[in-house]
Amino acid sequence: MPASNRRQFLGASTALIAAGAFGPAAWAQARDRVVIGMSLEPPVLDPTKNAAAAIREITYQNIYESLGRIDRTGGIVPGLAESWTISPDGKTYTFKLRAGVKYHDGKPFNAAVAKFSIDRLYAADSTVPAKSLYTDIESVTAVDATTLTIQLKNPNSYFLYSISLGDAAIQHPDSAPTNDKTPIGTGPFMFKERREGDSIQLVKAPTFRDPGAIKLNTVTFKFVKDASAQVNALLAGDVDTFPGFQAPELVDRLRRDNRFAVVLGSTEGEVLLATNNGKKPFDNPKVRQAIAHAIDRAELIASESGFGTPIGSHFPPHNKAYVDLTKTYPLDIAKAKALLAEAGVPNGFEATLKLPPVGYAQRAGELMVSQLGKIGIKLSIVQLQWPQWLSEVFRERNYDLTIVAHTEANDLDRYARDGYYWGYDSAEFKAKWREVVLTTDFAKRDDLLKDAQRILARDAVNGFLWQLAKIGVWRKELVGMWENSPTPSIDLSGVHWR
Amino acid sequence: MIEFLSRRFAAALLTLALATLLVFAVVEILPGDPALVMLGTDARPDTLAALRAKHGFDRPLGERYVSWIAGLLTGDLGASHAYGTPVAKLINDRLHVTLPLGAMALSWATLIAIPLGVYAAWRHNSAGDWGVMTFSQLGISIPNFWFGILLVLLFAVTLGWFPSGGFPGWKQDVGKSLHALVLPALSLSLGEIAILARVTRSAMLDTLREDYVRTARAKGAAEGAVLFRHALRNALIPVTTVAGLIAGFLIGGAVIIESVFRLPGVGSLVYDSINNRDLIVIKNVTILFTALVLAVNLLVDLAYAVLDPRPKVTA
Repeated sequence: MPASNRRQFLGASTALIAAGAFGPAAWAQARDRVVIGMSLEPPVLDPTKNAAAAIREITYQNIYESLGRIDRTGGIVPGLAESWTISPDGKTYTFKLRAGVKYHDGKPFNAAVAKFSIDRLYAADSTVPAKSLYTDIESVTAVDATTLTIQLKNPNSYFLYSISLGDAAIQHPDSAPTNDKTPIGTGPFMFKERREGDSIQLVKAPTFRDPGAIKLNTVTFKFVKDASAQVNALLAGDVDTFPGFQAPELVDRLRRDNRFAVVLGSTEGEVLLATNNGKKPFDNPKVRQAIAHAIDRAELIASESGFGTPIGSHFPPHNKAYVDLTKTYPLDIAKAKALLAEAGVPNGFEATLKLPPVGYAQRAGELMVSQLGKIGIKLSIVQLQWPQWLSEVFRERNYDLTIVAHTEANDLDRYARDGYYWGYDSAEFKAKWREVVLTTDFAKRDDLLKDAQRILARDAVNGFLWQLAKIGVWRKELVGMWENSPTPSIDLSGVHWR
Repeated sequence: MIEFLSRRFAAALLTLALATLLVFAVVEILPGDPALVMLGTDARPDTLAALRAKHGFDRPLGERYVSWIAGLLTGDLGASHAYGTPVAKLINDRLHVTLPLGAMALSWATLIAIPLGVYAAWRHNSAGDWGVMTFSQLGISIPNFWFGILLVLLFAVTLGWFPSGGFPGWKQDVGKSLHALVLPALSLSLGEIAILARVTRSAMLDTLREDYVRTARAKGAAEGAVLFRHALRNALIPVTTVAGLIAGFLIGGAVIIESVFRLPGVGSLVYDSINNRDLIVIKNVTILFTALVLAVNLLVDLAYAVLDPRPKVTA
């Protein structure tokens, strides 16, 4: 640009900004507020109306609370219930609720409110996205103001976990219909305002039972889709943290800046080369095993700038029931070709790889074409938007292979579901999973979970690629952010500035 | 002139009516089930069916088209499926960002490009002309979102003169809101400045060769008067045509620029609505964009009539 033109540009700009203040946002002067950057904006603010993870990230533990709460380690600790007992047959849960808890509008929390909220989860006409987690409930009884019992149809070793999720947030009957726009809960922060497409602001709730424990007065969630805009927002000081930074290729830029801490943690997200087991030739276990032998996880993780842990089955490596099965089908091209020959396709075949519009799938997709190309499987990539992926791949099962992360915790049950999009149908696995669900002794359950992982690895149901890493970026002075992501939640109750 | 403009107006209305059919058809055949997008992969079939019935996704196509058009005519645009907010409010809020952004970009495009073009034509084949042409070549080639990122790195991250993105809102602070639109408007207008400067230059080169310009110079008119009163007024016809087209591009470009600068405008609303399969919002915003472009074209027609009386005879 010639110098004279540049002056014209600057002249025009200076005239327009004369009224405005200069300088990047002065984060340092406000120690009671934090601005949190997020990639995705929640459509509504009620987890019972929409499945978007961003709803839970913002509302769970900040605005709403559940009976139990999932803490930063993934453990279950008291939430709105201060304690609970489980009957010896594992079917009756009795919750002792906290007394004196108030909603942000001053209305009291009690067992009748909890019953109303939990009844909505499993009711016949319920449209709650996570309804399937709660269909083992037979009845809910408010015994007195602070005692609630939940009767199950059969023991369910995941029930306490499910009832502690953001999906089971205890909402008041008066505010439940409007919680999608103006959420009212019992948590430490109350909703102040939303500017759709831009930000959501929460402020400290005066009604919270332990206000002294909460150090922040104002919390702003800002939505920034574009990865380079995210980096710029951090560098310019407009945003204090991206708890879930999603562009591994840009992390180096932030690491070089000594204002920021870049913290790697674990997630519940397994990245899979999801495979249509119901379609030829993928219905042949030998073909799936051949694919497993051809997958080079080291190369895939390298393309994620090294962020990720290899997996050999569908299970997170940080879980104590994890068993390392990455050596089940080691990288071995000759073996893979031999298996294809045994399966009757010695020269390989053509197949499509349908990719959703996310960075990891795009990067891994290109590598998968070359890795499977080495054993004669010629993949052609088809790009899909998320809604298309959901309809075409997930619901209609019209696909050969796809790359997707399954981010829910404890999600092995999908392999036992009839009609799930992988088309995996194994009586052995279903029986094993039934045992897992019925076994309320957690040590025993861990052993069963190991068996379950081994079955999935042996059957090579999907290509098991890597466990997603959580890349958290925040100002070095910001204390108390979660390093790991055991459940979708940006819990701010323990966050403060140093 | 009245007849000319009313014909154009009737043509615009007809275009709009055809556009509703096209938009409806395209949006309805978009693959993807909005209910599945809302409820996610764990949703049970009965839950999905209940949600589809609630939002009327299961009604016949014709019925849905008629009720949409009836809504448009009565000003009732319905409510967004994803946000639950009335579509009219959603769009209205976003227009408060996109319209000023577009206006700022368009005014810069014209205020910068026309003097540049006039200068380049006036100093034809000089270093200045060469400079303008190089700038214009660069401006056309550089993608505006990338230029936007560069602007942010320089003016927001390094110098700290401007925010890196976001929008405080007119009610909060008018000055800061204008301030927040400066960089986005600049990146949005770069390509348009380049195109418009070229068009102005070549139109001016043509008119400067005309006899009446030589006559004006011969009778001793001041150079400024020759350039701006005689030559530019005649050169403005193609320039106005292109400026009208550019207004349409600006609206499209806003989709990307609003995402780079985190502006809660109509562009980012379209982007999010397509990803959420918020069909009712996509339909209404697209029609609104169509109406805006048609309105700008009508204004261009009006400008022709003012700039040059000839079209009314041929119309």
